[in-house]
Formats: sequence, C-alpha cells, structure tokens
Amino acid sequence: MSDTLLHIKNLYAEVTDGKKEIIKNMNLEIHAGEVHAIMGPNGAGKSTLSYVLTGKNGYNVTSGEITFKDKDLLSLTPSERAGEGLFLSMQYPVAIPGVSTNNFLKHAINAQRKYKGLPELDTAEFLKLIRSAAKEFNVSSEMLKRDINVGFSGGEKKRLEILQLSLLQPSLAILDEADSGLDIDALHMVAEGVNKWRNENNALLIITHHLDLLNHIKPDFVHIYNDGHIISSGGRELAEELEKNGYKDYIRAN
Amino acid sequence: MGLLQNIRLWGDDIPFLCGLREKGETAFAKSGLPNAKTEAWKYSYFNEDNLQNPQIDVEPLKCDGHCHKKEELPFTALQIKYCNGKIHCDDFATPNGVMIKSLAEAIYDGDVKKYLNKSYDMNNFPFAALNTAYLEQGLFILIESKTVLQAPLYIHYCNHADKNRLCNIRNVIVAESNTQATIIEHFEGEAEAVYTQNIVNEIYISSNAKLNHYIWQNEAENAHHIALNSVQVKSGGAYNAFCANGKCKLSRHESYICLLQEGAEAKVNGVYRLQEKNQLCDITTNINHLAPHTYSNQLVKGVALAAAKGVFQGKIHIAPDAQQCEGYQLHRALLTDENAEIDCKPELEIFADDVKCSHGASSGDLDEEQIFYMQARGISEQEARQMLIDAYINEVFSLNENHEISKWIKACF
Repeated sequence: MSDTLLHIKNLYAEVTDGKKEIIKNMNLEIHAGEVHAIMGPNGAGKSTLSYVLTGKNGYNVTSGEITFKDKDLLSLTPSERAGEGLFLSMQYPVAIPGVSTNNFLKHAINAQRKYKGLPELDTAEFLKLIRSAAKEFNVSSEMLKRDINVGFSGGEKKRLEILQLSLLQPSLAILDEADSGLDIDALHMVAEGVNKWRNENNALLIITHHLDLLNHIKPDFVHIYNDGHIISSGGRELAEELEKNGYKDYIRAN
Repeated sequence: MGLLQNIRLWGDDIPFLCGLREKGETAFAKSGLPNAKTEAWKYSYFNEDNLQNPQIDVEPLKCDGHCHKKEELPFTALQIKYCNGKIHCDDFATPNGVMIKSLAEAIYDGDVKKYLNKSYDMNNFPFAALNTAYLEQGLFILIESKTVLQAPLYIHYCNHADKNRLCNIRNVIVAESNTQATIIEHFEGEAEAVYTQNIVNEIYISSNAKLNHYIWQNEAENAHHIALNSVQVKSGGAYNAFCANGKCKLSRHESYICLLQEGAEAKVNGVYRLQEKNQLCDITTNINHLAPHTYSNQLVKGVALAAAKGVFQGKIHIAPDAQQCEGYQLHRALLTDENAEIDCKPELEIFADDVKCSHGASSGDLDEEQIFYMQARGISEQEARQMLIDAYINEVFSLNENHEISKWIKACF
C-alpha cells in the first residue's frame, strides 16, 4: 500500500518533430496530500513536462517510466489518463467555436463517469450539478451558454478551468502557468478554488516561473527545473530564496 | 443506348406538351451530357458510365399505391409521395388557399402552361433539357394570394432497388403575393438501390411572398442525384433554401436564382458530408441580381471524411443598373482524409458600381489543439472529433428558421 500518486523515474523525452531531447533524466515522486511546485526560467521545458504527463501528440518518451496510481501512465491515451484522475490546466485554454461550455462540460463529466463505470448524468442532473458549481465560482449562466473559451477574457478562461477542476475532482492536478496574465482578483479566485478542492487524498503540481500563485497556494516542495530535469529541491524556503536571487545562481552552478 | 429513348409517354396527343418535349430532345441532343470541357460541370463527372446506364420507366403514370404508409415525422406536415419517380396516387387533402395537382393533370387543365419551362434556358442546363424531353411526372403547387401555410408541405421521394431507373421529375411551385409557406423535399432509397434522380423545380415567388425550402438529400449510397432549382423572385419576395447532402454517390444541387425586382432576396445555405470513397457532392449556385436593392447570402459547409470530392461553384451576378445590392457567399470545407479533394470556384460578376459583395473560401483539417484540450478532460479522441465536426456543421443548421425541421434533418445527417 502506497500513497504515491505519481512517480516519474529516469524519464527522457524528445519532441517527435526534429528529435530534440527536451526532458533529460527527470525524477519526481508525488504523494497524496502534497503540493509540489516546479519552477524554472522561460524555455526550460516545463510545459513539455506537462504535455508528456498528459500524453499530448508530438512528444516521444525515449526511456524511463511514469506510474500514476500504480498504473503505467504511458500506456494510456490522454482521455484515459484524465479518466484515471489526471487534470491539466493549460496555460492557454483552447477556444472551441461551435461547442457551448455547457455541452463541453456535460461531455467531459459523462466521459469520465463512463470511464469509472458510473452511470452518465442526464440533462436535469447535469444542470443541477453545474448550477451549484457555477454559483460557487461566480460563472454566469450566460457564460455557460457561450462557446467554450471563445471571446473569454484571461480571467474568465482561468475561472472556467477552476470550475472544471471542481466538477471533475481529479486526484492530481497540474496547473501550468495558471497565474499568467491574471490580475490580483483573478489570482485570488484561482487560489481559492484550488484550495477548496485540495484534500488529503489528492495532490497538486504547480508549474510556474514566478511566485505570485505560490504566495496564495503554499507548496510543500519546491523544485528548480532547468535543461530537462530537476536541479535542486527543497521546501517552501527555496521559493523565497528564488524571489530574492533569481534562477541565475542555480543555473550557473549546473 | 443513349439516354434519349423513343418511348411512349402520357399525353402524346397534347400538342403543347409534345412541343416542349421536342425542344428538350433537341437541346439535349445538341449539348449531350456534360463533360470535363463543359465549364459549369468541369469538376463533376456525370457521364453515362458513371450513371450506370439508367433506364426510363414507362408505365404507369401514377404509382400503384403499394406503400400507403405515411412517414413518421416529428412535426405536422402535409405529405406528398413519389415512388420510383412516379407520383403517388393519393388525393391530396390540401388546406384552404393551396392547390396541389399532379403535373399531368395541370397540363391537361392548362393552368401550369404559363410557368412550365419559363424560368430558365434549357440550352444552359443539359439535365433539365433531358428532364424536359421526358416531361410527365411532377407536381403543380399553387399557394394562393395571402395564404399563410402553417404546416409545411413534405415531399418524399423513395426509390426501390428492383430496377436502375432514370426518374425525371418536374415540380412547379408558385407562391402568389403575400404568402408564406415551407416546402420540404426528402430523398431516400433502399440500401442497395441504383438509380438516377433528375429533378427540376421551377419556383415562382411573387411580391412579398416568402418560401422556405428545406432539402434533405439522403439518397441510397449508390444513387445519383441531379437537381436544378430554378427560382424567380419578385419585389419584396424571399426564397430561403437549406440543403443537406448525405450518402448519395454522385450528387449535384444547383440553384439558379433570378432576383427580378427591388427588395427580392435569396438565402441559399447548405451542408454536405462525404464519408465514402469516390463520393461526389457538387453544390452550384448562380444568383442573378437583376434589380436594385436585392439581397443574397450563401453559406455552404462541407466535411470530407474519406477520399471523396466536394465541389462548390458559386456565382453572383449583378446587372448594370442593379445598384445597392448585397451579395455574400462563403464556402468552408473540412478535410480529415488526406486523399479528399475540394474544388471551389467563387465568381463575382459585378456591373453596378454601388454594391456590397463578398466571397470567401477556406479548407483545412480539425485543430489538434482543440482535440487535445477535449482529451485532457476525458473525452475520447473519436468523440472529440465527432463533436468538432458537429460544431463545424452546426453553424449552418443554426441559421434555419424552423428548428423542428432543422433538428429532424440534423438528427439523421
């Protein structure tokens, strides 16, 4: 019996197009109840890590392994990974013209319920669920009728990501630059939503290159990431040190 | 054996009808079937081999009525039926203000004379010339002045697999002034059926009349479908057409529209879905703005999911004195198969100097980023693709005024 949610072992990965190696000997273990932050300068390959974890096309794992809840994550499709409880909040949530937010959410919830062997929600059950969640995150019914992320402001997009986090109740959420382009109020909203979702059975991986969000969601572990792997790990104090001195000392030392 | 066969048709003792048929024969003998050198047909291939040498069915004049069953529709409609190209022998229980007759009856009575073959020039439409050479089957629908039809007229075309037929059908639809009506044409065939449907609709829309025309072309997989909608619109009249094209192997949906007087307008929207190898769907429009202050708009969207071919030819013509007209046209195609082909030929022919016109065309595959975003939320790749295709097509469906009809077509599309 282990409470390990995610285990990345000696992972090497490349971009399929051009065969450029982006992840080089990455190791990380995340347990239930923990908050990890991966910090690194722009261009360090942080987003690539989130894409390899969620199984996006265009990336090739050349060696190493990833287990998620004791399952071989790399053998699962992206939608199966989501069904297992992996959630990625993207830096730039994609707009999908013609698909209403309501319709999208209903499909996503029911796809995951189906994966877990639960009965799908009918329209009435779905509306009941969505209404209470939308109220909690201040998402208007007008916004739910609009096509997903089409014409949404940066703040609205992130609010919708957090609404999805709350509705889908994943075991592990990866927030990729969740704070980029947000004003203080929106940042508070994201942090508040994430903190409400957190409990001792789930875990959070925050990928960021600055500290704004970490002032609101306190990480248990901070990892400095550069050139495709973690170069230094520590507690919360590491983030504070980075705030004073920047990445340069760490990158140079490597 | 060519498509022109010396067969006996109904009414060969009526000089007016024989005269028309002869003109049709002459025009078709001159033009022949269109080929790669026929500009208006250069992307399509409707030669005799491709049509698999269909036969003309002589007898009887009317369907013997072997299938009385009405279609189960999710809306109230007045139903009219063709079986294997023959009008069904039912009497039509027509509401007040509407007259419906078989074409034969209308020719016999003489009241269709002033409309028949008057809306287009046969020399420009080879299949309509062929249709005229065999003029016999069809409907004459007259919506009398000031009539507002609540329930749509539903025309159902069914074809059976027993014979490879060429069905020549001519419908003449007249909407008198200040009328409102909706006509639905639904084309179907038995799964194994091979046949060629050759439809000509002549539609006359008088002042301030409005006609909504829904076409759900879902012929059998190996069938051929050629339709010409020749439409004339007078002052303040409106023709709103929506055409959904499904399974049919070779299909051409052509609209030839003349906006004759001020304030006349036409909307011609369409969707097509190609999912079988070598399927072809051709949508051709020719909209003529012949008077000032006329308006037209076209949105056609297609999806090619197999090594098939989609064709859109859209022409907007604005006559020299037709000032302050508006004519818009957009064709977009989604190709998810690398061997799919889309041919698009937009044409603007503008002789007036104070008009607003636009045309646009685009084609591309589904967006991988959108698919991944949906997958990352648990939606399978297959479902994500289906949702994106539906979303793509929905834009056109959402423009339909009658949501019940639109929903019914979409559910089977």
